[in-house]
Amino acid sequence: MAEFVAVGRADDLREGDMRALDVKDTKIAVANVGGTFYAFGDTCTHMECSLAEGDLEETTVTCPCHGSEFDVTSGEVLARPAREPVGSYEVRVVGENLEIKI
Amino acid sequence: MPETLMIVGANLTGGEAVATLRQEGFDGRVVLIGAEPRAPYERPPLSKEYLRGESSFEQALVRAPDYYYENAIETHFGVRATRVYAAEKVVELEGGERVSYDKLLIATGGRNRRFPIPGLDLQGVYDLRTVDDCDRIRAESTPGRRAVVVGMGFIGSEVAASLRQLGVDVVVVERDPVPLRRVLGEEVGRVMEGIHRDHGATLVFEDTVAALEGEGGRVGRVRTGHGRLIECDFVVMGLGIEPVTELLADTGAEIDNGIVVDEYCRTSVEGIYAAGDVANHYHPVFGRRIRVEHWQNALKQGPAAARSMLGKGDRYEEIPWFWSDQYDANLQYAGYHTEWDELVVRGSMEERNFVAFYRKGGRVLAAVAVNRGKELRRSMRLIKAQRPVDATKLQDPDVDLRTLVEAADGR
Repeated sequence: MAEFVAVGRADDLREGDMRALDVKDTKIAVANVGGTFYAFGDTCTHMECSLAEGDLEETTVTCPCHGSEFDVTSGEVLARPAREPVGSYEVRVVGENLEIKI
Repeated sequence: MPETLMIVGANLTGGEAVATLRQEGFDGRVVLIGAEPRAPYERPPLSKEYLRGESSFEQALVRAPDYYYENAIETHFGVRATRVYAAEKVVELEGGERVSYDKLLIATGGRNRRFPIPGLDLQGVYDLRTVDDCDRIRAESTPGRRAVVVGMGFIGSEVAASLRQLGVDVVVVERDPVPLRRVLGEEVGRVMEGIHRDHGATLVFEDTVAALEGEGGRVGRVRTGHGRLIECDFVVMGLGIEPVTELLADTGAEIDNGIVVDEYCRTSVEGIYAAGDVANHYHPVFGRRIRVEHWQNALKQGPAAARSMLGKGDRYEEIPWFWSDQYDANLQYAGYHTEWDELVVRGSMEERNFVAFYRKGGRVLAAVAVNRGKELRRSMRLIKAQRPVDATKLQDPDVDLRTLVEAADGR
């Protein structure tokens, strides 16, 4: 059953940055967009590169390997070559901690 | 009569073009004609994951097979268009059928170059363009078999890598002293050479194929220009493509290294457009014509041409970009260069983790990266800006390439 899992301190992730985390054996990327946190599947659905290694511009993440783009707020594909969305996860800040629902 | 927009070339460019016509609300007749007996599909996997059996053909399809019927797109797959009669606005198909159009997009792409080498017709000699070609190569590619790959451009390099990954013994014969020299230059070519050697490919440089030989109608060895004899079980030719332009031969359309088009994908003949590998297009950023044989151009130029046909066109000025995965190395290139006076490297070529900038007169014309894709993508705006950039900043990994764009823009 999905539950919120603490993954670290919120202030460790600066604005505009991303980080890949292992949460319950799932690779999840967390992005800080202007102070709002988004969590999504880190593994690109095209060729399995880590999206957190790519670039974040506003709410768009670009895969470093082949340029696929995803909306970090929903996991939807914005640009190919990827065709399948990545997962999208709820995030909340409790005290100083970031929690992801998985 | 509703207007008829016709696209010749049922591939990524053509498939994206017809989809764009419908997305833009065109409700007239759309006709898509293609020589291959299949719905449009993407070709990059054919030298990589599909060849290695890691992905399916369905995954390569541009749209689901039902898409064309559901969107009232009239398809002629497996039918070659042979001739365009521009004055009558008619396309003739093989078999003689004539189809009228109001506007026509040519997206016929390329065909593999064939040189007059004796023995090309032997069994076991392949080249790679279609999924059927790929299936034939795949069927030969079992561990321990011996392949000769001829040519070490992108297709030859990727096929060689995939075959090694499948356990095939690979010898590559390449005319140049390093792989990919024509596009990337010697320094970067040497990095790619090292990667192939580390994975056990045997590389024969500065030699050519004089003949393919064998007994019983099947290839058994390759004879090189320098007299080497290379025993093998099969051969894959990778000597590049030439644009397929013949069907416009009688139209008066300008043909020069492909079909010449402007930045709106318009040929010199009213009502006829071209896009994709076949189109030698004027590029506003580089101030010259370029012809691009890569996935991203096929993906983006088809829609650009479609919008142009609808009178909604913008200038097509995508910065060319492509990737080439070989073994575990991810190579990416962006921009366009034919010559440069300085190669500025950020990172380490030795460690195969770098982005290198092709600079001329202080401007970055193009960049190539190995295993450093994020910075390659960040350099694309720098290339588009076409302003002088400080080399020490390009080299410094602590300098965010995006800030250099802003600095260049601010001048």
